[in-house]
Amino acid sequence: MSASANSATAWAEQFHAFERNGAAGAPQWLANLRRSAFGAFERAGFPTARRGNEPWKYTNVRPIAESVFTIAEPNAEASVDLAPYELPCPRVHRLTFVDGRYAAHLSTEPASEAELRSGALWRGGDGPVVGRLADAVEYRVPLAQERLGSLASAEDDAFTALNTAFLRDGAFVHVPAGAVVPEPIHLLFIATGRSAAATHPRALISADADSSATVLMSFESLDGGAYFTNAVTEAIVGPGANLRLCALQRESAGAFHIASTRIRQARGSRVSSVVVDLGGRLSRREISAALEEPGAEVSLCGLYYGDGERHMDNRAFVDHAAPEATSSEIYKGVLDGASRGVFCGGALARPGAQKTVARQTNKTLLLSPGAEADSQPKLEIFADDVSCTHGSAVGQPDADALFYLKSRGIGADAALALLARGFMSEVIAAIEDGAVRQRVEDAVAARLGGGA
Amino acid sequence: MLEVRGLRAEVNGVEILKGVDLSVGAGETHAIMGPNGSGKSTLAFALAGRPGYEVTGGEALFDGEDLLALPPEERARKGLFLSFQHPVEIPGVRMDRFLRAGYNETRKSKGEAELDPLQFDRLIRGKAKSFRMDPALIKRSVNEGFSGGEKKRNEALQMAALEPRLRILDEIDSGLDVDALREIAEGVAEMSGPDTATILVTHYERILAYLEPTHVHVLMDGRVARSGGRELAREVEERGYDRLTAGAGV
Ligand SMILES: Nc1ncnc2c1ncn2[C@@H]1O[C@H](COP(=O)(O)OP(=O)(O)OP(=O)(O)O)[C@@H](O)[C@H]1O
Ligand SMILES: [Mg+2]
Repeated sequence: MSASANSATAWAEQFHAFERNGAAGAPQWLANLRRSAFGAFERAGFPTARRGNEPWKYTNVRPIAESVFTIAEPNAEASVDLAPYELPCPRVHRLTFVDGRYAAHLSTEPASEAELRSGALWRGGDGPVVGRLADAVEYRVPLAQERLGSLASAEDDAFTALNTAFLRDGAFVHVPAGAVVPEPIHLLFIATGRSAAATHPRALISADADSSATVLMSFESLDGGAYFTNAVTEAIVGPGANLRLCALQRESAGAFHIASTRIRQARGSRVSSVVVDLGGRLSRREISAALEEPGAEVSLCGLYYGDGERHMDNRAFVDHAAPEATSSEIYKGVLDGASRGVFCGGALARPGAQKTVARQTNKTLLLSPGAEADSQPKLEIFADDVSCTHGSAVGQPDADALFYLKSRGIGADAALALLARGFMSEVIAAIEDGAVRQRVEDAVAARLGGGA
Repeated sequence: MLEVRGLRAEVNGVEILKGVDLSVGAGETHAIMGPNGSGKSTLAFALAGRPGYEVTGGEALFDGEDLLALPPEERARKGLFLSFQHPVEIPGVRMDRFLRAGYNETRKSKGEAELDPLQFDRLIRGKAKSFRMDPALIKRSVNEGFSGGEKKRNEALQMAALEPRLRILDEIDSGLDVDALREIAEGVAEMSGPDTATILVTHYERILAYLEPTHVHVLMDGRVARSGGRELAREVEERGYDRLTAGAGV
């Protein structure tokens, strides 16, 4: 039997055990969702990096397919210090998961049994509902059943299928109509880092009409094992709503990080997403937004830093399904060592999507001759009155700038780090919330060096 | 402080410096004049260690130490400062962060304590004030979108923060209005003392009124064609370089 066949058997055994155990007692709709998702995974299998399989042309997930990962068990030994992950602001709504399990003591406002039972909690009010997905399911919150799996389909790819099949917990965020949430909502996923452990974090975000909120998802790790994070996020954005999303990925150097985010936007809504990949041995991040009604606006930004043999694959896709919608994609990569950065930016303007504005930019700064960048634009235009642009550039650090820095006493490594951070600053500046921006800036500084 | 002997340097395989001799002692101010393209900036870059400025002969000693063997950042940490004729714009790199990095690395190399962001902020605001520089510029990207005059002020500010001993000022006076010229020149004069030395590359006599030169050199075609005192600068101003060399019988 081949290694991947081995692993397929292991996944099947695991799924059946999960159905009998962790998943038992779930409402029928969820049991069905999981079962059909696992069916989809079994039919499709892990994608292979081969010619003709465009979405996976550059990224080989064989190391995942051929390993056996099992759902992370609670790690009793791990003690988690929250301090390094906290946002520099006085108020925050935080939900923390350690190895995929909810950690009440590391979360703000954990709800009591009585509160969970009361419908009032789940209706929100002026403020947001920031709760566990498992609770939303258990207490039969209608939104959970209605929306879970509505955007991220198990048919999309094997990873979304696996996430759905093993869906147990995650974040349920609901910003009620008209609610303006000034403090960031922080979804913190901490891996204790044991090898061969898998987590499948899920987040369901609903931002109703004219609401406004910032959601940061951060992925942190305590230790350096070859573990596997497989995250899926769905965000449903109502008319006139304004949702700022940020993902900060700082997995350990041995980890695999796969993440998929699907966004649906109604009339006049605005979404700004900034994704930041600083860790992991292999990361693959897909984000897509469907602009389904006129006047929707989305900005998808990203930055990634690679050294050693790291492989980072970012994909951003916008579906212009309605007229007068605007999208922009700006992704910037800094590649050192023998790392590889892939970006695929896509936009589709469907027939009738007149006055579409879609812009894509991908820039890479190569710090070493051994690093490699691939950039692939994908524009499909079926409307005639559109403005679509894309550009990609790969360059080296500017020699004059380097000398200028050195002439002030700055050493070669610090000078490069400063230039790299300067190169990334355009993306970091796109983060509107000051505390989230500061957190990302600090994380980038810690990773690249060059001083606070 | 600085001994340059027979310095030869090439840029892109073309010899620009053809044997420069220059001896600068502590407390002295040397004005270097010379026509466009005569090699003044090349000399400054060769001393500061800019890549691509290949020294092919001669030597340069800084406090008796072989300057040319050091990478540019170490020359800076030892107290050599170059004020650029054309300061470089660096998008995305904030002025204060950049300067703090240079300041702290210099301190560290001397075994001195580094300043944290708050302490440095206080220091740099004080310096900016004394150079009448808009403090908002300190939070902007290095030189990006600065006016010509602001860039020169910024060079002076960096010098004030780093407190170098050997200051090579390459046309710090060009592009400045009369008030700015006076302010910057007076600022440099204030930072001068018996332990510092200045090499002042300039085309104009005006700045010498504030920074009284002890020596004046005329660089022509990669060599020091004439040296003298303050009166040589006046002669240049009055007669121009062509007649100057003709008069010298070169
Ligand atoms: N990077 C380079 N590539 C090619 N030639 C160069 C380069 N840098 C300098 N040169 C040449 O070297 C010569 C000396 O230039 P340099 O900048 O030192 O002159 P300068 O005396 O400072 O002139 P100015 O008064 O105009 O500033 C010029 O002929 C110039 O074209
Ligand atoms: Mg010059």
